Amino acid sequence: MIRYLSRRLAHGVLLLAGVSMLLFVFQKAAPGDFFLGMRLNPELSGQTLQGLRAEYGLDQPLPQRYARWLGSALRGDLGPSFAYNLPVTTLLWPRIKNTLLLSVPALLISWLIAIPLGLLAAWRRTGWIDRIFSGSTSTLLALPDVLLALLAVLLALRTHIFPVGGMTAGTDAGESTAGLLQHMVLPVFVLVVGSVGPLLRQVRASAIEVMDSSYFRAAQGNGLGRTTLLFRHALPAAANPLISLFGLSAGFLLSASILVEVIMSWPGMGPLMLEAIFGRDLFVVIGAVMISTLLLVLGNLLADVLLYFCDPRIRVQS
Amino acid sequence: MRSIRPITPSFLLACLLLPASLARPEGRQQDLLKVSVPVGHPGGVLVVSQSSEPKTLNPVVAVDQPSRDVIRRMTADLVHINRATQKTEPALARSWKSNREGSQFTVELRRGLRFSDGAPFTADDVVFSFQVYLDEKVHSPQRDLLLAGGKPMRVEKLGPYTVKFSFVAPYAPAERVFDSLAILPRHLLEQGYKAGKINQVWNLTTSAEKIAGLGPFRLKQVLPGEKLVLERNPYYWKTDSQGQILPYLNELIFLTVPSRDAQVVRFRAGETQIITQVSAENYSALLADQQTGRYKLYDAGPGLEYNFLVFNLNDDVKGRLPAIAQKQTWFRDQRFREAVSLAIDRAAIVRMVYQGRGVALATPVSPGDKLWFDSDIPIPEYSPEKARKLLQAAGFSWNSSGALTDSSGQPVDFSILVNSGNVQRSQMATLIQEDLKKIGINVHVAGLEFRSATDRVLNSHDYEVALMGLGRGDADPTPDMSVLSSDGDIHLWNMGEKTPATPWEAEIDRLMRKQQVTPNYAERKKLFDRVQAILAEQQPMIFLASPNILTAARDGLENVRPAIMDNYILWNADELFWHTPAGKH
Repeated sequence: MIRYLSRRLAHGVLLLAGVSMLLFVFQKAAPGDFFLGMRLNPELSGQTLQGLRAEYGLDQPLPQRYARWLGSALRGDLGPSFAYNLPVTTLLWPRIKNTLLLSVPALLISWLIAIPLGLLAAWRRTGWIDRIFSGSTSTLLALPDVLLALLAVLLALRTHIFPVGGMTAGTDAGESTAGLLQHMVLPVFVLVVGSVGPLLRQVRASAIEVMDSSYFRAAQGNGLGRTTLLFRHALPAAANPLISLFGLSAGFLLSASILVEVIMSWPGMGPLMLEAIFGRDLFVVIGAVMISTLLLVLGNLLADVLLYFCDPRIRVQS
Repeated sequence: MRSIRPITPSFLLACLLLPASLARPEGRQQDLLKVSVPVGHPGGVLVVSQSSEPKTLNPVVAVDQPSRDVIRRMTADLVHINRATQKTEPALARSWKSNREGSQFTVELRRGLRFSDGAPFTADDVVFSFQVYLDEKVHSPQRDLLLAGGKPMRVEKLGPYTVKFSFVAPYAPAERVFDSLAILPRHLLEQGYKAGKINQVWNLTTSAEKIAGLGPFRLKQVLPGEKLVLERNPYYWKTDSQGQILPYLNELIFLTVPSRDAQVVRFRAGETQIITQVSAENYSALLADQQTGRYKLYDAGPGLEYNFLVFNLNDDVKGRLPAIAQKQTWFRDQRFREAVSLAIDRAAIVRMVYQGRGVALATPVSPGDKLWFDSDIPIPEYSPEKARKLLQAAGFSWNSSGALTDSSGQPVDFSILVNSGNVQRSQMATLIQEDLKKIGINVHVAGLEFRSATDRVLNSHDYEVALMGLGRGDADPTPDMSVLSSDGDIHLWNMGEKTPATPWEAEIDRLMRKQQVTPNYAERKKLFDRVQAILAEQQPMIFLASPNILTAARDGLENVRPAIMDNYILWNADELFWHTPAGKH
């Protein structure tokens, strides 16, 4: 187990190192830097901007800048934000919490919907229930998250049932849980609707494969009840691809939530990352991407651990 | 068991002095400023949306507009530019006098004022503030405006409420540069400054009690990425005509709403009560529902932003970028530039891009600039016929397919570089493309992301013609020197000129230098009028249009007087009040 985990962790660390290196190279390749935009301000002199560039080490060669950043990143400091004059970690932490506040419930709800409905669709694979699910998932797959988020905003504006954006009401001090939940409903709904389609299809496909197997037919022939058959026998046997998908869906939901956050003014990583990309706030972009990669790596690691316990073949191989 | 400590003489003294120090200074010598505005009711909350979150609360390093909008509500300056009249007026400085040359200013401060944490305001705070702004190591963006003849101003304390400012040479805009220069509390910031950490103080994680200013509001709460709450400063130094201490509002909340369209959506949903700047499209959309939506729209007239085409006349492209160097032969001919200008239908740009809410321009100065606009310079007429005649006189001709060719038979075409993220400028570029087609010029529109486009114009000079926009932050010509003077940092049409390339550029340099040291406004105006006339004649930049400043506020908000200088609607936040006395909004 320890060897298996260490190998997985080493892969993750290598991935993070590769991503950080690529980010530095891409940032360097992109024309201009954070301070270039300020040069069009007639009230600012080139000399002042040069001084600011030097202060943040932007006048140094790329390898030197990367080595310096890597050194501080290993100590837990992801560098400063040029725009905020704050350490990136300080800036990202409250936003990561806000992003997880959307993506974790959305992830759980999506799976809680996808598993029973996918099993049911597989059980009734030629019936009308399956046809309804099939049509609905095709429609959901065709709808981009952006459109779903815009429709949700429109719904909020027309009905006044839910707030049109943000995390708290304008005059709310941010301490009301009820207010927070009310603001979470629409973005979580959009994320769930956007992600449940592929999950449902995957559950259905895996379950059908199991249901076609001889041992499942034998269990069926022995007169076992539907619930026992589906949840006791079909689900554990179909779990392998689903567990792998669970790790990937964590990363997928994170990227989808970034889009939804921007449209619905949710103060998570999305708006910050978008602004940092357009503003070339180098270390914020790098920090945000690194943390997203880390969450993806952790999601996959969790999936690997679950697979280790669920699948005896992996235990034997490792 | 608790022990009883004996009462010491110092404790007794402190007890005697405490009531005096806690008492508000109004009863003594408090030099308040009485403003004559319609008298309002205290109370209520105002929620405003901002397109991005403020990045810092530190006036020394703030450069982004959202930060400045918040900081300017929390701080005060010595001399203030009234956004309605565009003229200077006393603020923390009760009065000031200058010497005849306009190089020295002696400022008398208001007495008995207090920062929002209750600490007294004195000349020491003023001297400290300017020491910080002028420190080269701090890299404050405010520093550049405090230099005259390349040398920083000198600041001396003459008394507890008197400060002298000296420039090495006469500096005409001196009064105006004090505007928006926040006076810093020495008692809170001196330690950080001495430790070399002034740039790191007052960020978004600083607790509210460690931040104090002399503005109408003070910090109450920051929710990262979402909102920033300001509360009324009980020590503010302005009153209305009935002696009521301003501001009227209890709280001012800045809500982060990343897109302009989302700002309109949240305004319509009643979640915000002000939109600081509305686009022309959204203005038209909001106009239809103005009555039923219970809000008012305001058109403050043409702002200080100017949009223009700039020809690449940089000398350094020779050899390095031969294709551009070849086209510079056309661009350097004044008749070619004028013909292009005559072929552009500016009225159509205003109509199509700004839905009629803007003005055509002949110079960088829009009619909104009350002090420096020259109404004698006509807007270039739209005349493709005159453009054709000019091109013919300059040796150009048209081939059988109607395409314009130069004297060597080379077809005339060029690309217009534009920031693809700016929808309005992209629309302008397309309209210009259509206009120039009518005189046989084939134009390609090249859209690039903002920083990539800016990098080409300012650094690599790899472009032919660029469509850009600049904002004139203050209605004064001095900041324009960085664009117009040949040695300016953003002398866009020919960056890094060592000496003026043409006699007319030499004349602009001379006039701009002279206006900077001429204390008399009328004389300065004549000098700057001449600069504008040269620009209109030579057209190194073809000035296109300026959009109107459009804002919106919910019904019931009183004393709303939108202006064209920032912050367009919150500049008099201390005077705003809700019509309903309870202020329940």
